[in-house]
Amino acid sequence: MRQTAPESDSLVLQQVLTQPVQRAGWIRWFAELLRGAPKLSLLVLTVAVLCAIFAPELAPHDPVKGDLSRMLAPPSLSNHLLGTDHLGRDILSRLIYGARISVTVGFLAVFVSGALGSIIAVLSGLFKGWPDGVLMQITDGFMSLPFLMVAVTAISMLGPSMLNVIMVIGLLRWMSYARILRSEVLKISEMSYVRLAVVAGATRRRLIVRHVFPNLVNTLLIIATLELGTAVIFESALSFLGLGIPRPLSSLGTMLAEAQPYLYTAWWLPLYPGIAISLLVMSSNLTGDWLRDRFDPTRRQL
Amino acid sequence: MERYVFKRLCRGLITLWLTTLVVFMLLRITGNPVDFLATPGMSQADIESIKEAYGFNKPIYVQYLIFLKSVCTGDFGKSMRWAQRDALEMYMSRLPATVLLVGAALVFSMGLGLAFGVVSAMRPESIVDRVLKVLAITGQSMPAFWLGLLFILLFTVYLGWLPSAGGPDRVGLKGLIMPAVSLGWFLVAANTRLVRSSMLDALDSDYVKMVRAKGMPRRVVIWKHGLKNAALPIITLFAVNFALLLGGAVVTESIFAWPGIGRLLVESIFSRDYTVIQTVVFFSATIIVLINIVVDLCYAWLDPRVRLE
Repeated sequence: MRQTAPESDSLVLQQVLTQPVQRAGWIRWFAELLRGAPKLSLLVLTVAVLCAIFAPELAPHDPVKGDLSRMLAPPSLSNHLLGTDHLGRDILSRLIYGARISVTVGFLAVFVSGALGSIIAVLSGLFKGWPDGVLMQITDGFMSLPFLMVAVTAISMLGPSMLNVIMVIGLLRWMSYARILRSEVLKISEMSYVRLAVVAGATRRRLIVRHVFPNLVNTLLIIATLELGTAVIFESALSFLGLGIPRPLSSLGTMLAEAQPYLYTAWWLPLYPGIAISLLVMSSNLTGDWLRDRFDPTRRQL
Repeated sequence: MERYVFKRLCRGLITLWLTTLVVFMLLRITGNPVDFLATPGMSQADIESIKEAYGFNKPIYVQYLIFLKSVCTGDFGKSMRWAQRDALEMYMSRLPATVLLVGAALVFSMGLGLAFGVVSAMRPESIVDRVLKVLAITGQSMPAFWLGLLFILLFTVYLGWLPSAGGPDRVGLKGLIMPAVSLGWFLVAANTRLVRSSMLDALDSDYVKMVRAKGMPRRVVIWKHGLKNAALPIITLFAVNFALLLGGAVVTESIFAWPGIGRLLVESIFSRDYTVIQTVVFFSATIIVLINIVVDLCYAWLDPRVRLE
């Protein structure tokens, strides 16, 4: 993260360092970092990540094995907090495991698309000329694909699995990174420090690794946070259609698909997974908005 | 202008060619089409006959040339499940329902986005602006298929006002409301944002200040001078929205049993109808490319700065 250090800050830092209790500095630094942050959103994201890591410990029941004598039990405080589904499986446990899938797919898909997008952006921005033209033409081409149609077809060819969902979302959603980061690279490569590095005889590799890429990280993180929500929605959409995470694993989208026949009898089935998806997506969107305003105010229109 | 049209058409052709390449790779290289078509228990001879019939035993570039030929003639062959019907004819018979749905969703999301955006831009940071912003953010986070289920739960199960399934032939325009609103809702946020910011830019410009100084009523300033000049970026939104909605139609049509191309695609995938899948994916991508070209040309026609570039 780019941090500016005006005079007053360094004074504060000096005071803090000379103080006997070092912890105050940490808290101050942390408070400064989180200035104006959407705390609720960060909390939701933290809870989701914790669910993903500790799902087996947190879930009160088995998410896959159901108890048929308790099928379609409404939410109650005594046993099943959020009720059970048509196979008597505990909804809360399935939600926790569903969050695990959403978070895993979301993060990994964003990682794949971010990596691919920044590679294309750096190549395009640094080489200019015809490679730039070709790469941007390809980006345009990918942008005009009907994403969900292509994704559904690709999954049906490859077979539904978590890895395939990650790869398909990752490999079809890199265009916004490529476009935005390319313009950033063009801007950076005009900066005097990059020109001076060229004059000083820096190799192309050094230019990319030391001078261009570190300055892209901000923007990259912002787009990635905003894309996280989209990836979560696409994963659940694919699972909803039965072409994502294979059953009986409890993806949030699968849970919604399974709820559809029971709309007339069990209102809690479609309610909770949808709330979980929306909370997750809203939190990553709001966090992305905040990161953008905080670290890159020039990109408010993104 | 002619020069720009020519250049844009050339680029469009290249994009179309790239689309054929991507769709071809998607269908032939990512997975094995023979595995996709073979049913369990088929003998080796049966598998060989499938390869022979669809040309999967030819070298890959020959397969691509055959693919290109079927693209140019528009003929991907007959459906594998409904053996009497051409894949293209099936696609065309389902297209009107999707066009109706996507069109309605487009009108809904752009109309609401425009109204919200202008109202927000009139008084930035006011209560109305904030409420609309929260509404938009909530809408953006709700996946269309969940919104669809909630609509069914409320309007069909509890209130019994609207039909939950069926196409335009069976349930008429009343059945269009829920699918169109749930499909278009997630775009309202993005549209509001863009309209708001381009309106703010327009209202801040010198000519609007001039009109205001001249003493024109606020209504005229905002709706005539402001919106007219803010409208240009909104036109490009049309193309982006269209591509997103056409993709989103896959899910929405599945929920509401809407007989469009999205549902056709999902049905074909589950019945392993390879020729229809090819047709749906390729022609849908083509429609998007064509819409993009038309929108770009409109843009250049309206804004001379673009074509001089």
